[in-house]
Amino acid sequence: MIKTDVLVIGAGPAGSTAARFAAKGGAKVILMDKKSEIGSPKRCAEGVSKKTFDILELEADPHWITREIEGVRLVAPDGTDVWLTNDVIELPEAGYILERKVFDKHLAMEAGREGAEIRIKTQAKGLKKEADGSYTVTCECMGEVYDINAKILIGADGPESHVAKWAGLKAITKPKHMESGIQFEMCNAKMERSDVLEFYFGSVAPGGYFWLFPKGDDIVNAGLAIIPEMAEKSAYEYLVDAVNNCYATKDAQPVEINVGGDPVGGLVKEMYNDNIMLCGDAASQVNPLTGGGITSGITGGKYAGQVAAEAIKVGDCSKKFLKKYDKLVREDMGHDMDKYSKACDYLWSLDDDELNNIAHAFQDIEFTTIGTTELVKALIKAQPKAALKLGKLFL
Amino acid sequence: MMIVKDWCSYCGCCAGVCVRNCIEVKETALVFDENCNECGICVDACPLAALELEE
Repeated sequence: MIKTDVLVIGAGPAGSTAARFAAKGGAKVILMDKKSEIGSPKRCAEGVSKKTFDILELEADPHWITREIEGVRLVAPDGTDVWLTNDVIELPEAGYILERKVFDKHLAMEAGREGAEIRIKTQAKGLKKEADGSYTVTCECMGEVYDINAKILIGADGPESHVAKWAGLKAITKPKHMESGIQFEMCNAKMERSDVLEFYFGSVAPGGYFWLFPKGDDIVNAGLAIIPEMAEKSAYEYLVDAVNNCYATKDAQPVEINVGGDPVGGLVKEMYNDNIMLCGDAASQVNPLTGGGITSGITGGKYAGQVAAEAIKVGDCSKKFLKKYDKLVREDMGHDMDKYSKACDYLWSLDDDELNNIAHAFQDIEFTTIGTTELVKALIKAQPKAALKLGKLFL
Repeated sequence: MMIVKDWCSYCGCCAGVCVRNCIEVKETALVFDENCNECGICVDACPLAALELEE
């Protein structure tokens, strides 16, 4: 049996960051992933905020940044659009579009360079809790089955989240909170501006939105996410329709199709227990409104790695000690998640006419600064009924 | 019996919503274990409509 201090399952951005910071803190770390190539296939539209690199303590590298983003364009069902770009207004946070296949691999390499041992094409098959509290995980790699015993297990195994379920944590994503996502990466796209994110709302994607995230002058991630119980057809069928009906993508050609679930229910109830922590999508560390999970997953992963290293150092891997992780995550993102969660409940409740009305009213408002608060204030002005639904959430 | 269509992309969305944790997602295979009670939640969740419940 292989023994380690920390075993991280899943080498996405959250898992690799957890492994890196645990190793940096002095723990013996194993990072494993079932895939043949870390970062591929991507399950994601690849947008991150710039602060992500401060959290990572890394410089943004042109090898994995495809585009710097200067704003957003919000499009109502009737085509009415609202542009929020930083040449006219002050945007709260700028962002980048990544090349995830390169970025994810780079983060895993950073973990490896800190001393983490990386095992690829290695899948967890199940786990067992030992009498001393540690976890023994049964792994399979190329037909070989073996056990790894870890004082601390970090589940970063994405929306599938087998680790959480095996360990009996209250972390299951309800179907109504699992966005069903699909995307084409396309060339020949005709974006009005290739440095602006576009969001299309309404019946084009029930319970979500259709997005265009530019990766080059004519290259775009064109995708959408739906909540299946609000939908009438599969996500794929919605995407084909959306792409064909959108000026920017109707003549574009796909070079990749990406699919995946996105847990948008807000932080799971139990992100930790004795000898175990969850981070990234496995803990629903995802912005419920945008569905974005890279920045928040990396934040969660860093905290998990740091707390794991401390726990190993002091020799206390108990629930009581690991509570620190839960506290750090909830203080960092819990409040925002609750806020966004309520905002999207409201947004998804609007029909196409209501969205059109809001877009019309938005066109008359001059924004000078933009944040969720400003947006929602404008929203309430445009659609007074919104105030009733949203209550005092933002004001 | 759950039928996995050959256009499945092994994204794991189905496994995420499976309350019985009985779907194993390999790189190029989807395996349902004996605990599956054919509740159909995964069928609805699939972005590609790649799962079908055989009557």
